[in-house]
Amino acid sequence: MTTDTTPKVGAAPPAMTPDPPATPREPHRFSAGRALAWTFMILVILVSLFPFYWMLRTALSSNNALYAGSDNLLPVQTSAGGFERVFGLQTGQEAIDAGGAGQAINFWRYLFNSVVVATLITVGQVFFSAMAAYAFARLQWKHREKVFAFFLAGLMIPAIFTLLPNFVLIKQLGLVDTLLGISLPTMFMTPFAVFFLRQFFLGISREVEEAALMDGASKVRVFFRLIIPMSMAPITTLAILTYIAAWNEYFWALMVSYTDKSRVLTVALGVFKSQTPQTGPDWSGLMAATLVAALPMLLLFMLFAKRIVNSIGFSGIK
Amino acid sequence: MITFRQRIRTAIALLTAGALTACGGTTGSSANGTIEYWLWDSAQQPGYQKCADAFAQANPGLKIHISQYGWDAYWSKLTAGFIADTAPDVFTDHLSKFAQYVDLKVLRPLDDLGPTSDIEDGDYQPGLAELWKGQDGKRYGAPKDWDTIAIFYDAAAIKAAGVDPAELQTLTWNPQDGGTFEKLIAHLTIDEKGVRGDEPGFDKTHVKTHGLGSEGSGGGGWGQTQWSAFTGSAGWQATDKNPWGTKFNLDQPALQDTLSWYFGLVQKGYMPSYEEIGGANAIGTDKQIQSGTAAMGLSGSWMISSFTKLTDAAGKKLDIGLAPTPIGPSGKRASMFNGLADSVTTLSKQPENAAKWVKFLSGEECQNIIGQSGVVFPARPAGTDLAIAYNKSERKLDVSPFTQQVVDKTTFLFPVTTNAADIAALMAPRLDAVYIGSSPISSLTKLNTQLDDLFKVAQ
Repeated sequence: MTTDTTPKVGAAPPAMTPDPPATPREPHRFSAGRALAWTFMILVILVSLFPFYWMLRTALSSNNALYAGSDNLLPVQTSAGGFERVFGLQTGQEAIDAGGAGQAINFWRYLFNSVVVATLITVGQVFFSAMAAYAFARLQWKHREKVFAFFLAGLMIPAIFTLLPNFVLIKQLGLVDTLLGISLPTMFMTPFAVFFLRQFFLGISREVEEAALMDGASKVRVFFRLIIPMSMAPITTLAILTYIAAWNEYFWALMVSYTDKSRVLTVALGVFKSQTPQTGPDWSGLMAATLVAALPMLLLFMLFAKRIVNSIGFSGIK
Repeated sequence: MITFRQRIRTAIALLTAGALTACGGTTGSSANGTIEYWLWDSAQQPGYQKCADAFAQANPGLKIHISQYGWDAYWSKLTAGFIADTAPDVFTDHLSKFAQYVDLKVLRPLDDLGPTSDIEDGDYQPGLAELWKGQDGKRYGAPKDWDTIAIFYDAAAIKAAGVDPAELQTLTWNPQDGGTFEKLIAHLTIDEKGVRGDEPGFDKTHVKTHGLGSEGSGGGGWGQTQWSAFTGSAGWQATDKNPWGTKFNLDQPALQDTLSWYFGLVQKGYMPSYEEIGGANAIGTDKQIQSGTAAMGLSGSWMISSFTKLTDAAGKKLDIGLAPTPIGPSGKRASMFNGLADSVTTLSKQPENAAKWVKFLSGEECQNIIGQSGVVFPARPAGTDLAIAYNKSERKLDVSPFTQQVVDKTTFLFPVTTNAADIAALMAPRLDAVYIGSSPISSLTKLNTQLDDLFKVAQ
């Protein structure tokens, strides 16, 4: 069980570790330096994977016995109870007896909500930010740079400042306890996304664009047919980053959601956290929940890891 | 490349279609006969759900919707709700928060609402109902439960030390030599070589099991589960009067001598240090007893169910015993006495219905249901008796160490003041510093001046 899941969890980090410099003429030459480098790298990988293993080990322990074997490397009193609580397979009383929260957990509903919210935010934000970025990068208009500077100042405003005004606005729009209400504040744009894409659009060669315009293409057509396809790599990168950020968003979603119909995974998993100031969290449930919630993001990373790395280098005419 | 793009497109198309059908609908407190009720303790939710069902049966056309949020989320969401008008009709209130809510005028006086206008103080354990009256003398909360402090101990550790559990029922302490209480925790302390704390050759720097567990410095809540049982039995009161005191007594010798002795137990090796228990996010006494870090420790009656669930690494239930807090210099025991209540918000669109529910929550029927669930002690004596019986029959646990102090009137009330958040913010780091040993006890005199000044400014 543990052996075949651990490598999966760590599939992303090895992709990021550069290969040691290979000497093509003597591939099998063994040197002390190389051995040291390998040892060091294996050590780093183990250190970075250990927390994942510890999460898994805690998730597979019984909550009521956890502290009795806190120095044990293997699960204490192995049980799948933590995962059962995550998927809502235990009755309330069973969960309470196991040191859990006893809350009804409608896991698939929360998963669906999370997917909807993350998708709405990602699609909306990337699309509208790309348009804005194009306007800032390529269209000539009065006070463009001033507006952009003002826009960038938006990056400096801490999220907590806008929380209550946003919340009151969402309430006045009648969108409290809806998925749209959770998505709305970041659905149209974030300064970061606009800034990020503008940097890439600035790098696309003007000749190509001018050629298209000479041929009678409109600005809109240029944007859709030329700019977007040529910037697919950074757009994908931004989409993935946005998706992960939206997926992990907790506080805003907590504020807006009141019932199961708008509860996303992160908020739902809050029931595993501390219930009262004095009683501790349901650690095994919490760790199981965290692993389950992180799994879709790990899959996403595994599918697109190469593209994220590749988006640093670019195709197209320079 | 093509396939990748097609994949993306299909995925996006599918997901947006799903998204657009999943939106719509609104919420908030409305007058449609559904009363929104919030609580933070999930362990109590099943019991209150039973109350809600009984209430709906007795009141056709009304029903209760219960929402549970964990402690931290609960207060953030409630505050946002007060601002944006999405607050519940009724919520579980806490003494450390309620004064501020009264000042903000978000709580409705229960005396002004028909159903709750006739709540009698005398129906509850003495002193509980009075806690929830504001400085204007009006009632802002209807008592639901109460809690006191006692000693939880690991019966196996007591037995291994050759101590008769009966001795634990009559412990005494004093700030000079710690009395029989300190003798016991010294004997229960074992270092890594197996030498006990009262034997020659004991190594206080390498302790395996401490005689007494610790829940931190107690700066956030007047030492409720840390030192309040000792300062109380030394005859000390936190404020000049309670509730609504404005002058503090942290400069008095009764407190400083007691804390000097209490935190001194760390230097002797009888109590875990600040670092050992995880600093400001201390693990509870229950976890310390379970992991063998401590043989016994003070904790509250709300933890009974957590303690009785504990097992060892092999899954065998731990044998947990209870003993009352020790008798102090005043010649009596002492325990802080605290309780929760239900409050009606001013934002409720159906205050009379909300008051009906509060009346029901604080009434005989519901409190008996809660008593039979055995999670907390209900505020009414009859409900308390049911909780005692439940613990006896279901958990084989004699909870008299918690209840006897109420009978003997050796309890003192949680200090209720305004500016509670500021007080906690000032006290927590100062007491942490004393616990760590980086500040002397006398530094609390200066802290006391600062607390007094809070009330000179904010009158």
